[in-house]
Amino acid sequence: MSKSLSRRGFLRLSGMAVAGATLAACGPAGAPTASTSGEGAAPDAAGKQIQYWTMTYADPEPYLEFARGKADQFREESGIEVQTEMINWANAAQTWLLVSQGGAHPDCADMYWLYSFSKLGGGKAGPMPITDYKDLYWPDLEDRFYEAGLQDVYWQGEFYGIPWRGDIRPLLYRVDMLEEAGFSGPPQTWEEITEAARATTKRDGPDTSVWGFELSSAVPVQQFMAYLWQAGGEYMTEDGETATIDTPEMRQSLQFMYDHLWTHETMPLEIMEKGHAPMDMFRAGQVAIVGQVSDSEGLTFDRDFPEMEGQWAFSVPAQGPVNRSSYSGAGYWGVLHGTQLVDECVQYIEFLSRDENMQEITEYIGRVSPNKKVMASPYWSDRPWKVAIVETLEHAHTSQHPSPAWGKLTATEPGAVLYDMYYEALIQQQPFDDVLARAQARAQEEMDKIEI
Amino acid sequence: MTVRRNIFSYLMVAPALLLVLALGVYPMVDSLRLAMVQYDLMRLDTDGAPFVGFANFRTIFNDPRFLGAFLNTILFALIAVGAVTLLGLLIAQVLNLGFRGRGALRSLVLVPWVIPPVVASAIWMWVFQPERSPINQVLKAMGLIEGNIKFLTDAIHTIGPFSIPMMAVSAVRIWGGLPFVTVMILAGLQSIPQDIYESAEIDGAGAFHKFWYVTIPMLRATLAILVTLLFIGGIGHFEVNYIMTGGGPANLTNILAVMSYQQAFTQYRFDLAAAISSVILVLTSIVAAFYIRDRISHD
Amino acid sequence: MISQSLKNAQPRGRVKLTHNSVLQIAMRWLGRIVVALFAVGIVIFVLLPFYWMAKSSFQTNTEIIAIPPTWIPQSLTLEGYQRALTMIPFVRYLTNSMVIATATTVLSALLASSAAYVIARYPFPGATAILAIFLFTQLIPPITRVFPVYFLIKDLNLINTYPGATIAYISFSLPYAVLMLSGYFRNSYPVELEDAALIDGCTLFSVFWRIVLPISLPGIIAIATFTFLGAWNDFLWASLLLYQGQMKTLQVGLRDFIGEFGSFQRANAFMAACVMSTIPALVLFSLGQKNMVQGISAGAVKG
Repeated sequence: MSKSLSRRGFLRLSGMAVAGATLAACGPAGAPTASTSGEGAAPDAAGKQIQYWTMTYADPEPYLEFARGKADQFREESGIEVQTEMINWANAAQTWLLVSQGGAHPDCADMYWLYSFSKLGGGKAGPMPITDYKDLYWPDLEDRFYEAGLQDVYWQGEFYGIPWRGDIRPLLYRVDMLEEAGFSGPPQTWEEITEAARATTKRDGPDTSVWGFELSSAVPVQQFMAYLWQAGGEYMTEDGETATIDTPEMRQSLQFMYDHLWTHETMPLEIMEKGHAPMDMFRAGQVAIVGQVSDSEGLTFDRDFPEMEGQWAFSVPAQGPVNRSSYSGAGYWGVLHGTQLVDECVQYIEFLSRDENMQEITEYIGRVSPNKKVMASPYWSDRPWKVAIVETLEHAHTSQHPSPAWGKLTATEPGAVLYDMYYEALIQQQPFDDVLARAQARAQEEMDKIEI
Repeated sequence: MTVRRNIFSYLMVAPALLLVLALGVYPMVDSLRLAMVQYDLMRLDTDGAPFVGFANFRTIFNDPRFLGAFLNTILFALIAVGAVTLLGLLIAQVLNLGFRGRGALRSLVLVPWVIPPVVASAIWMWVFQPERSPINQVLKAMGLIEGNIKFLTDAIHTIGPFSIPMMAVSAVRIWGGLPFVTVMILAGLQSIPQDIYESAEIDGAGAFHKFWYVTIPMLRATLAILVTLLFIGGIGHFEVNYIMTGGGPANLTNILAVMSYQQAFTQYRFDLAAAISSVILVLTSIVAAFYIRDRISHD
Repeated sequence: MISQSLKNAQPRGRVKLTHNSVLQIAMRWLGRIVVALFAVGIVIFVLLPFYWMAKSSFQTNTEIIAIPPTWIPQSLTLEGYQRALTMIPFVRYLTNSMVIATATTVLSALLASSAAYVIARYPFPGATAILAIFLFTQLIPPITRVFPVYFLIKDLNLINTYPGATIAYISFSLPYAVLMLSGYFRNSYPVELEDAALIDGCTLFSVFWRIVLPISLPGIIAIATFTFLGAWNDFLWASLLLYQGQMKTLQVGLRDFIGEFGSFQRANAFMAACVMSTIPALVLFSLGQKNMVQGISAGAVKG
């Protein structure tokens, strides 16, 4: 019958189309099931398999090879298969947000922002505490690791994993520019920074060809934090209940930065805008001093800009009114809710946290480690910049704050409380009193909303 | 016969309709529903998602950045659509003239199409970097400017809501839209029969008169749907503004879609983001309504 | 209507110019110069970023960030390209993009043509409503659909698979394609052809498949090009639905070059990767652009 033929013909066609698409998926992509949800793929004959995600460090593809190499070593030893996948930084926030909302997730991963993601996950998704395993696998945890690093893996009394990479920020400066301006060494205090910055700033008509001082190599808001701490201030009380933004210490740190922007004109007004790239500027000879620089820049200089050897140097951050605080963040290895393979994950984390493995990892990516033994090794003393980094570690101030609202407060976009505050005070030159009162109220509101 | 045809029609339409309902309509409606509830990711586990009526709208209307973002959204759309349509018309006219090398020119105009907005924004950011900008270099060499123009960060030289960053970002949006508009208009031009032009010429019409009184009226249908689609897309635009400036400096390039994204992904307020999206929906619905009315009166 | 506009075309009180007057010739040359300048301006505007990207891909990183900028690479090097190919699995990403964009285009063209054909030719109850629904989905920006779409694909267990992303892309491209094609099918061929075929005993479907489709191919290809580009250039959905190394598309993979603090780790490698990523689309274009314009002008544009 012609009627049924027409329908059948079309159905046949769509069937073929769908089959074709499915075949295309099964072919070069490999078995799709292995890379979907992280409920632990089906155990194969040789043993269990866990999904592990890592962030991207150094060069992406070679680093993935390296990470997989570690997984292979682990498999030889334990029989547990680890499937490693890499997440890039551009998508990281989105990816982890989805995880916290119940999206596809691994069994364990290289993680960060413990407090915020814990809260977002509401105990059902995201980071999972492994307190029960701590004493069994890491009996001497407090001896082996720096306290600042350990702060980042505890929340509400629970233990979440092993801190493995630090993020410490020494001061960076142009040796040649400071010498030329008559300075024999790096600035040691805020006043010396101002002096040196004024001396090294150069104008070129209406433009500035050299800026004396940049706050940090980091993204907006992060760039300001250490200066509040150096003035003796904090953003909130230790219990995470009260915001402490409208304080004399905040005013002092704001004034310091404001003066560089508007009074001395040693800092560009673009410091909070997108596309601002202080390290590119430094390497192009546009900047003399950067107050807080990621430790990863040391390896970048050695590897990618060897021609600048001798022109740059790290030093301990300059002394503020109270101390030399340096921003310190950490990533940690942790387990996620929803996994069925907690034992296997903890075993892998234990493997990675062995001194020899942490040493290998640190040497590969050139980042500081919270592991005391690693930081005492020869690797961390064979270059002046590494020595400066180790020195800076003594002034580490954790960037994790007890309120889960911290992630929101410090978001690097307009609309976030701290972004708006700094923008209004420093860039738009609104009176500090109004700005701080507003910010204090907003921060307190955000913190009050969340029940811990 | 008609029954059979109708069944055939439904079958032919079904797959497309199903997909669009599942992945187009349902997500849209779901996200708009969020505008009327409290959906703060930080409070989901304690508060759930209670109905709050218009509270979210009140919150965003009170946000000091909202008015600027709303105004900018419309301005950006007007500037981008106006300029790209005008340029597209002129370029298509030139391409239609029939000169040697016009094939090459036509291919060149299509180049922005092969560069996705994300990549294009990154490259344009390099081009607009004041100290490294070839544009500044050339302008300085010609003596037209003394200091570098800060294309994406100049918050000082503004006239009302108009600013240099707005112009720079608009330029990138226009750049991205040029291939599509040019191709569409060119196609429209080529479907205008030549004898109309010949009769006009015999009557003594010059170039401008041919353009204004023959070309434009004949392109009417094309231009109508083109401008409609461009406006709808322009009002809801997100990528270029977000990547190049994030809405700054000082809210000068902030648009509704960027504000919505920031509320959702950095402040975890999906309810506020949905409210802002609803405002976008109102604006685009107005545009769509105009188009539909125009279609009805012309069919 | 045409005579009406012609009547309006007559300028009032026009000056009678002799056929070869000097003024006329001068005006013509001036016009040509203006047009030429305009064309050059457009070419510069359109090509500037592409040129900047290409020239940076052949420079060292030090040269890229140097002030003042260099227009012609002094340190001509292939370092960027070498690094681009080793830093990320470029070929793998390219393959993913190719497969997904092609599958999307073919399937979307099939589904959109089927739907547009019946809407245009056989007005059935609900046809207008369906068009309205399709138009409706275009009205708010895609970012608002992120979570629902993600969780839908996840519930189907299709995250990080080719079919997952393909289904998403197809459904996003359908509204525009159907809207455009339904106008197209109304004008692209005479109805008599259909009636003749039906009288000869063809089924409704084979009329579509054997007669209408082949004739309408230019317009369908034109719309399919838009679909392909949409899928190829997309970043938002690819970053949501295909985020694991082996499955990433090119656009997501290009973001691998962005470091922890948002800046490009190796700018020259990034530029090289961008240049390489535009080549497939450029090739496609140079092959098809003439067809595309033809196809659209054949009636796809009337809307």
